Amino acid sequence: MSRDAMWDMVRMAWTMLSGRTDRDVRPGRPREPRPRPEPAERAIAAEGFAEEALPWLDAVYRFSMRLTRGDQDAAEDLVQDTFLRAHRFWHTYERGTNAKSWLFTICRNTYLHQKDLVRNQRERPEADLDARMEALSAASVFDTGSSDPEQAFFGALIDDRVVEAIDALPEEFHDVLVLSDLGDLKYGEIAEVLDIPVGTVKSRLFRARKLLQDRLRSFAVGSGYVQETT
Amino acid sequence: MMESMGMIRCEEALARLWEFLDGELPASDETMVKRHLDICNRCYPQYDFQRAYFEYTSRIREREHAPPALRRRLFEMILEQEANNGKAS
Repeated sequence: MSRDAMWDMVRMAWTMLSGRTDRDVRPGRPREPRPRPEPAERAIAAEGFAEEALPWLDAVYRFSMRLTRGDQDAAEDLVQDTFLRAHRFWHTYERGTNAKSWLFTICRNTYLHQKDLVRNQRERPEADLDARMEALSAASVFDTGSSDPEQAFFGALIDDRVVEAIDALPEEFHDVLVLSDLGDLKYGEIAEVLDIPVGTVKSRLFRARKLLQDRLRSFAVGSGYVQETT
Repeated sequence: MMESMGMIRCEEALARLWEFLDGELPASDETMVKRHLDICNRCYPQYDFQRAYFEYTSRIREREHAPPALRRRLFEMILEQEANNGKAS
């Protein structure tokens, strides 16, 4: 008997004994569909720019909004600078590779160039963050007493509070979380944009999400949707 | 009991949960995590919560778009850049 067949038998027995029904457990998460170019934008002469670069305008805009912490004027300027620069250097882009990551890299580099680099590196000391992370109780987030806790939790939140919590994350965690969860980039693509190893992406993302959950939970508790647990 | 059934432990499943949902685990690890979640009452709620988080961030993505005025302005600026260069980039 194959290992899989044996597993299926064990699973069936477990289901019968425990009375549990099958769960909907799936790997992966909702991914952003590849956007289509606007017909009018095909008037742009740079070959492939309208088809490969411009469709990512919304994604770059969202990224810019988070980099500038919600400053719409600054974000729009950043988007403009990013696409004008991308257009100017379009000949250096290898068609058919990954225009989205390429644009995000330009966007972030442009942002860092415009901002005082020293002021960008004012995150809290690593040890302090580690201590905060250790203090987190991820399990308490789920112990809400509701029959549908995750829906109650997210139902309690409004976008502004979520965005506020994301923007309050220390820079090194903020960028990796925004690129992954709002920018919808894969680990390898994030590593490319931030110029860090994939392992660092994974550890930062793990910690960023724990920190974000802690902050979101505070909002949910404050609004009375989720009970405080010890 | 789970270990005796050839299953990974809760700690291992939870440590790989984000990668499982990110779709970044190798197929063999993915199967192990899925098998654990299929029956573990402790870990499944956490999976369910994290999946809800991704559905939520996905909705945020769908709602936020570049303003139409920015799109138009950018399009015009690109055409102007091309005109100034006198040729396609």
